[in-house]
Amino acid sequence: MEARIVSSLLPPAAFLLPIIGAVAIIPLTKGAERLRRIGLAVVCVLNVVAAASFVPGVLAGNVYETYILQITPKIWMYFRVDAMGALFGLTAAVLWLIALVYSFGYMEGEHRPGRYYAFFILALAWTMGVAYAGNLLTFLIFYEMFSILTYPLIVHEETPEAIAAGTKYIVYILVGGSLVLLAIVFTFFLAGNQALTPAGLLTLEMGRKNLIAVFWCFIAGFGVKAALVPLHGWVPDAHPAAPAPFSAVLSGVMVAAGSFGIMRVVYSVFGVALLRELDVMRWLAYIAGFTVVFAALLAVNQENLKRRLAYSTISQMGYAALGVALLTEQATTGALVHITNHAFMKGALFLCAGLLIKRAGIRNVRDISGIAQKMPITSAAFAIAALSMIGTPPLSGFVSKWYLGLGMLDADQPLYLAVLLGGALLAAVYLLPIVYAAYFKPPSAAVLALPERSGLEAPLTMLVPLVAAIVLTIALGLVSSVQGMPLSLARLAAAIAFK
Amino acid sequence: MEAPQAVEAVGEVLEGMHVAYSALPALLVLMPLVGAVLVVALGKRWPKVRNTIVVAVTGLALLGAVAMIGPVAADHRIGCELPGLLGRLDFTVDSFGLLFALFTTFVWFCSTLYSLDYMKHEHAHDRYHATSLIVLAANLGVVLAGDLITLYLFFEVLGLVAFLLVIHTETDEAKKASIKYWWMTVVGGFALIGGIFLTYAIGGTGAIAPIPFKEGTEALRWAAASLLILGFGVKAGMLPVHVWLPDAHPVAPSPASALLSGVMIKAGAYGIFRTLLALMRPEIGAGVEASAWHFTSQLGLVVLWFGVATMFIGVVLALGQHNAKRMLAYHSVSQMGFILAGLGAAGYLGAHGAMGVAGGLFHVVNHGLFKSALFLGVGAVFFRTAELDMYRLGGLWKRMPLTFLLTLIAAFGITGVPLFNGFVSKSLIHHAIVEAADYHGLVSLVVAEKIFILTCGGTVCSFIKLIGLVFLGKPKREYGPEVKDPPPRMLVAMGLLSTAIITLGLVPQVVIRGVFAPGLEAWGVNPEILEEYLAKYFLSTKDISSVGVAFAIGAVIFLVGMKYGLFHLRAPKWFGVDFWYRKVAKGLLASCAFTATGYDMGRSAVSRGLLVSRAWYRTEWARLERSRRRFVMTLATGAPGPRDQHFVQGVYVVLERERQATVRMAVSGAIQRVREWPDYDATECRATVDAVRDIASYMAGRVFRERMGVVSDLVRYGLADEVRHGFDGVVRGLVSSRDIVSATSLALAGRRMEGENVTRDISAAVNRLLSDERFDVRLAALVPRYAAASVRLLEAGQAVLQAVPDGATLHAYSSEGLTRLEKSARWLADITRLAVAGVTQERAGWPAADHFGEESIVGTRRAIQRYARDMSVNVAMIVIVLLVFLVSLALRA
Repeated sequence: MEARIVSSLLPPAAFLLPIIGAVAIIPLTKGAERLRRIGLAVVCVLNVVAAASFVPGVLAGNVYETYILQITPKIWMYFRVDAMGALFGLTAAVLWLIALVYSFGYMEGEHRPGRYYAFFILALAWTMGVAYAGNLLTFLIFYEMFSILTYPLIVHEETPEAIAAGTKYIVYILVGGSLVLLAIVFTFFLAGNQALTPAGLLTLEMGRKNLIAVFWCFIAGFGVKAALVPLHGWVPDAHPAAPAPFSAVLSGVMVAAGSFGIMRVVYSVFGVALLRELDVMRWLAYIAGFTVVFAALLAVNQENLKRRLAYSTISQMGYAALGVALLTEQATTGALVHITNHAFMKGALFLCAGLLIKRAGIRNVRDISGIAQKMPITSAAFAIAALSMIGTPPLSGFVSKWYLGLGMLDADQPLYLAVLLGGALLAAVYLLPIVYAAYFKPPSAAVLALPERSGLEAPLTMLVPLVAAIVLTIALGLVSSVQGMPLSLARLAAAIAFK
Repeated sequence: MEAPQAVEAVGEVLEGMHVAYSALPALLVLMPLVGAVLVVALGKRWPKVRNTIVVAVTGLALLGAVAMIGPVAADHRIGCELPGLLGRLDFTVDSFGLLFALFTTFVWFCSTLYSLDYMKHEHAHDRYHATSLIVLAANLGVVLAGDLITLYLFFEVLGLVAFLLVIHTETDEAKKASIKYWWMTVVGGFALIGGIFLTYAIGGTGAIAPIPFKEGTEALRWAAASLLILGFGVKAGMLPVHVWLPDAHPVAPSPASALLSGVMIKAGAYGIFRTLLALMRPEIGAGVEASAWHFTSQLGLVVLWFGVATMFIGVVLALGQHNAKRMLAYHSVSQMGFILAGLGAAGYLGAHGAMGVAGGLFHVVNHGLFKSALFLGVGAVFFRTAELDMYRLGGLWKRMPLTFLLTLIAAFGITGVPLFNGFVSKSLIHHAIVEAADYHGLVSLVVAEKIFILTCGGTVCSFIKLIGLVFLGKPKREYGPEVKDPPPRMLVAMGLLSTAIITLGLVPQVVIRGVFAPGLEAWGVNPEILEEYLAKYFLSTKDISSVGVAFAIGAVIFLVGMKYGLFHLRAPKWFGVDFWYRKVAKGLLASCAFTATGYDMGRSAVSRGLLVSRAWYRTEWARLERSRRRFVMTLATGAPGPRDQHFVQGVYVVLERERQATVRMAVSGAIQRVREWPDYDATECRATVDAVRDIASYMAGRVFRERMGVVSDLVRYGLADEVRHGFDGVVRGLVSSRDIVSATSLALAGRRMEGENVTRDISAAVNRLLSDERFDVRLAALVPRYAAASVRLLEAGQAVLQAVPDGATLHAYSSEGLTRLEKSARWLADITRLAVAGVTQERAGWPAADHFGEESIVGTRRAIQRYARDMSVNVAMIVIVLLVFLVSLALRA
């Protein structure tokens, strides 16, 4: 199936809308909290609509593209929406909407909401840019913006821990970003400016050693963001420090952006055939497999809930990297769809953690005992998301693990099944005791200190996004095979990559 | 000749796998889910409506299962697909699936009917009923599933949701049991999905259909089969993964125990059956050679032995139990062993395994019926007496005659009394094992057959115990008026099960001809042997006599055991696999903790290393910076000033610091002391501290000046270079002076407060301190030539001291009447000693080796006074003489 190129103004719109939201709505509505919320919600909804509007066309084989401006005589800023980008963009847009609405409840009474919302909505703009970037330079611009301009969100609470975590974050990310820059410069040197195409930009004639160096520069650069194990240090500090709705986005989309970058590199810069020839993916698979198990082992002993979830994110993103590294169509499908599925289930878990902090003052795992009596919706949501994380059918986690598992068999490496299932077992070990404690353990002191509940356990602005994330988690599993669901996009993207 | 045959075989396969459309299976699975939603929605407000709904839903499910009999008989396979999950959920029903569905819905209906009254004792009715319906849906989903993904989906839901049934009572025991249940289910689920993945690796397509054997995949095939059997085996209570079962089944409410033991563990048996005889068998068709069965045969033998071990150990453990429900749970393990043995034999026999399949699956149904009837019976006893310990009941047959009768029927069923259902299935399994033993003449299987009979005997013994201890004999306790037969709905439920037990015992042909024969036919196994069984062996004397043997063994075990108290023996803890599982789980957690600590240690080591290197960098940089500045200064202003001047400046700083530290220490010591005063008075305290500060400052100041004086003396003598290196060490040695200052100032402060003038004391103290610390001597010791000189000096002094007689020696000669000369000599000796010691030791910087007693000092002083007096007299005399001389001269003139 030859891709039909369609010129469209929508990709820049998806990226400009949030910028308008940030630079226009927030200053204009200073003091008018209600108006501001409505304005931001409208921006996010429009963004979801824009992102979703690509899906039917992309599934029909279209590729949307726009040239925006000429940066240098040779290089354009250029957007290109293919299946992979459409999937990532849609995931980001929906998760952002969920997190934004949740922020309305969570940020109530927090300091400097204007700064928070501005950077929050700007981060969406950069993410959309990353998703729809059509060449490496465009990708790099948005990726860097996205990395650096989220610093204010991580340090938002301005506690000493948050500041320290922010410093750690920015050091890690800048080092990673420089490596990406180095790799991109190297790529330009080798291949010149070209769009990201399924065939790949590089060829074996450019020199084996050069190619391997470029590859590892890319992996080391994106690996920082994708939290591959020796480079994961910022993740467990940044998540507990950031406000909960941003933690959800951080885990669901930002860390995934690193994996997305790796995918772009693997499928569009190098191309599958070249990487098979270079025989480097084996090593990436080892790293990813180690990431899965090691991070999960560390998660088991984390007492702070958000920290535990952060380690879980590292482990789960290891799955995505592993899926890419196996270089089979099924595994790629699994990796792509796992990014989406993980975004919503981990998002839901972080939203639960936020509710626990905000409504019950609970940050530590041991205080959760008996919370189900006081916060039934949160507890149920946590339970469902946790089961999904483990890969219980028919929830979404199962779907991604299924494809990853099949991919491992296709790659003739059934031993990775042990990593897949071992990671899932460890996920059970670090998540399920929390669920059990919430329902069946005698209430902790923190829970006993809570006042009797009258009415809902939290404002609707917090509960509705949580329930939405859970509904998505169930739907992405139960009806994952319906045309137009992420699975179909992931399959298409994988098929294009392996054509 | 061969080619057409192959084509024909393929055609047959296709025909064999043909599935006629019917929506019934999907409806059957979905209906209880809808029911569960209704229960949650309505239960709180209208409990009666809820009760009607649950009975109606289970009843409808039963009717639905019955309605499938016709279509399945006509088309062999019926089914449909629902969209969902990874594309579609596939439901396919063949004879075996139908059999499972029928007995599942039947037992569920009875248990639900029973639970209406029984649950009055328990809490959270809505949760119980909703859970029960969801689990029913999942259970039906498992047995009606048409592919592995659907099967896995429902199997997981079944296992995980049934957790709520286990923990229902929320007692500590239930919580413990349910946690164990949960983890084993989760691990089993992982084994299962791993096995399913591996079936894809060996050429499977996800369908529950034979996976043709491919060369080179044997290891993977074994791995797939083992994982599948392990995964299903956890649920089936197979040894050695049965440990959750005896804990979890007894703690659930009795109707739930009946479902858990009677029905749900059969989902595991169903899975093993499908693994062994659908997935791992060769293709169906005429062209299949006997050698193609090789793998199935091997696997079957393994399963057979697992079954035999499970049945035997289950029964042995059951004999040791006091709790009636726990005993029944161990029998569930044991009876699952029978089922596995039957299925294993079927696998071993391959194409001739009809007897094993029929025996195993018939036993599934039978066990479902009598085990749930037994749980309901024991539950009825518990319902009335609130007692489960068999050894504390007795004589209940009078109070609860109908319960007794119905439980007895079930006990007849499980022990295999002829004309009851257990008899048929057990003898089928027995025949299958015998047949297997004959097949290749394996001696080990003859042993298995003996174990089988022994296990039957153990089962008999167990149920003699149950009936005898609970219903017969003398009551061990008083029963109140409430101890009578349970309400009618519970009795009806038990009655329905008993009817089924007797019916299947009398006319097993219904199931054998109606289900097994066509089902086996469709799967390409020859069912003729079943007809042979019905004709030749059913109720034959040989089979009945083997039951007689079992009963005799049972009676003997019972008598011997009761007499010698064998039923109360307990194996040591480490003997059970449970113990080792706990060890493994703890080890896993410990390894997590280990990883975490190791990681943290590594991380902190790295950060410490970074800090250290930063500190090193900073000091090195500062040093370089100093050198640079000195260099520049030298260039700008010429050579630096005399080194000695630097030294004096440095010394000044060090000593000044020491002075401040001394004062600070004295003051802080005083503050601390003052705080401890019993009657704390702020003004007084402040005054005291001020006084201390004054005195200490004065003392420290004087000490400082003296020390500076010593240093500048040294420098003046040109010794600065020699002293410079050890100077810091000497200053460190001065620390003890601080204590003296602070002690003195504190002591004197009190006196000064009282108005006394203490200036003189302060001076004396300072003098003493200065002479004690010997700062000059210590410094002089640093000068090498001085040090050498001092050593020589000391040696010389020692020699002189030895030469001069000491006071004691002289004293020995002395008496009161000493001559003046002698006294002078003694005085001279003393003075010489003092002088020598003073000169040498003082100068050598060493503490005095010799101690001067008080006495000698006083004596010396007196001698000096006397000398002075004598001298003054002499001088006076001379003066007088001189005066006289002068006067006389003047007079002459």
